[in-house]
Amino acid sequence: MTLRLDLLPSPDSPLYRFDPRWKLAGIAVAMAAVLALRSPRTLTIAFAACLLLAVFGQVPIRWLLRRLGEVALFLSPFAFLLPFLATGDGHDWLTVAVRVYAKGLSVVTLALVLLSTSTLPTIFKAAHALRFPTTLLHVVMLTYRYVFVLGQELRRMRIALRVRGYRVRANAHTYRTTAHTAGTLLVRGYERAERVSRAMRCRGFDGRFRSLIEFRTRREDLVFLALVVGTATSLCVWDYAS
Amino acid sequence: MPDNLAVSVKDLSYAYPGGQSALDRVSFSIEPGESVGVVGPNGAGKTTLFLCLVGVIPVKLKTVGVAGLDPSVPDDRRVLPAKAGIVFQNSDDQIFNSSVFDDVAFGPLNLGLPADEVRLRVSEALETVGLKGFGDRIPFHLSGGEKRRVALAGVLAMRPAILLLDEPSSHLDPRGRRELIRLIQSLSGTKLIASHDLELIRESCSRILLIDQGKLVADGHLRAILADSRLMEAHGLEVPHSLSHHAEHERHHVD
Repeated sequence: MTLRLDLLPSPDSPLYRFDPRWKLAGIAVAMAAVLALRSPRTLTIAFAACLLLAVFGQVPIRWLLRRLGEVALFLSPFAFLLPFLATGDGHDWLTVAVRVYAKGLSVVTLALVLLSTSTLPTIFKAAHALRFPTTLLHVVMLTYRYVFVLGQELRRMRIALRVRGYRVRANAHTYRTTAHTAGTLLVRGYERAERVSRAMRCRGFDGRFRSLIEFRTRREDLVFLALVVGTATSLCVWDYAS
Repeated sequence: MPDNLAVSVKDLSYAYPGGQSALDRVSFSIEPGESVGVVGPNGAGKTTLFLCLVGVIPVKLKTVGVAGLDPSVPDDRRVLPAKAGIVFQNSDDQIFNSSVFDDVAFGPLNLGLPADEVRLRVSEALETVGLKGFGDRIPFHLSGGEKRRVALAGVLAMRPAILLLDEPSSHLDPRGRRELIRLIQSLSGTKLIASHDLELIRESCSRILLIDQGKLVADGHLRAILADSRLMEAHGLEVPHSLSHHAEHERHHVD
């Protein structure tokens, strides 16, 4: 089994060594700012700033561009169809396309910078320290762990269907089988969740994740946070003032 | 419940929601240091018994005692994981962290131990199960046998006085199974092993509890029970190959 998130590059860079709490906070602010921007000019500058951050984090450019290419492909229907579907806002085709692409690619770039310069357990721990909702964090963490196990179960079920002659067709039998497969997967997921919860309680889990990761704030961390927040704020002010 | 016993069970009954009886007035006791095999056909109640012992399934007051604690008492149940550790049948249910180190450290951290002690215990537990140097590995990329050993290390790191292993050899290849048997034999403390793998039980235990349809039908010395072909067949089991000669001899003797 290959876990794409486990195969992320982890280059040793200044960004990698920053306190993950401030790194997460800075990147969250930057994401919010990008989503709040409206004009193509500020959005383009924001995307350039995101790429600059990736360079600073020594994220492998080829690796980054390949993923951004996939995202661009995913965004293309929205970017090219939305201008024809949306009515009455008076924006031209290019403006809408730049907005969609710049926002999407900037947010993904920021997410990839975060993921490739911190390990996932560290990000969860940092999010916990920043008082992100605990239940939400547990859900994300356990989903990440078990979505692949459920994926394997789905693959096994599909093989079991195929060897019994099942082929996807546009008929009631296919719809019914798909619904049964989804239902079985849900039930199995629920049963597994019960077993995982039971195993965790047997090892003394009381609802709180503890970790040996210790955070320490240094001057560089605060400088980084100030730079990111300052840039994000400046872009927002410029965007809304113009 | 006597404090000097590792495990004491008295008239333990449990029925699943819907009324299906899983355990019916089961009683037995285990001395500290004993290795006990729990055998029986599928659905006999072996896993349910284990879940009652570790406090996952609610039990009536004073029906179960584990290391001097009563799992029906909330305060006792909170400290029970430090005394009794269970390794479940499916390692994927037990290993949920994204690194082997984090997963083995999960239990000791929940016990509130200081960081240095946690690191020491993780290192010792990984060495015990033969996975020294695996701390940074991602659990999902390990083989079935390695996952099983990580799950075991996660429990050993809590240093429980009583270890419960539920079908420890399932999904293991012969080499993984052989390594596991050696590992189980090397572990000290009280052990309860529920398994269909009767050769594993024969090599790891000295006493057998035979459970069928929620009832404890036999409790005695390993050879006396596993080599009793009539008893074994009556409860959907077979005499292990290594004891079949002994069983044949006993049958002729009785006839």
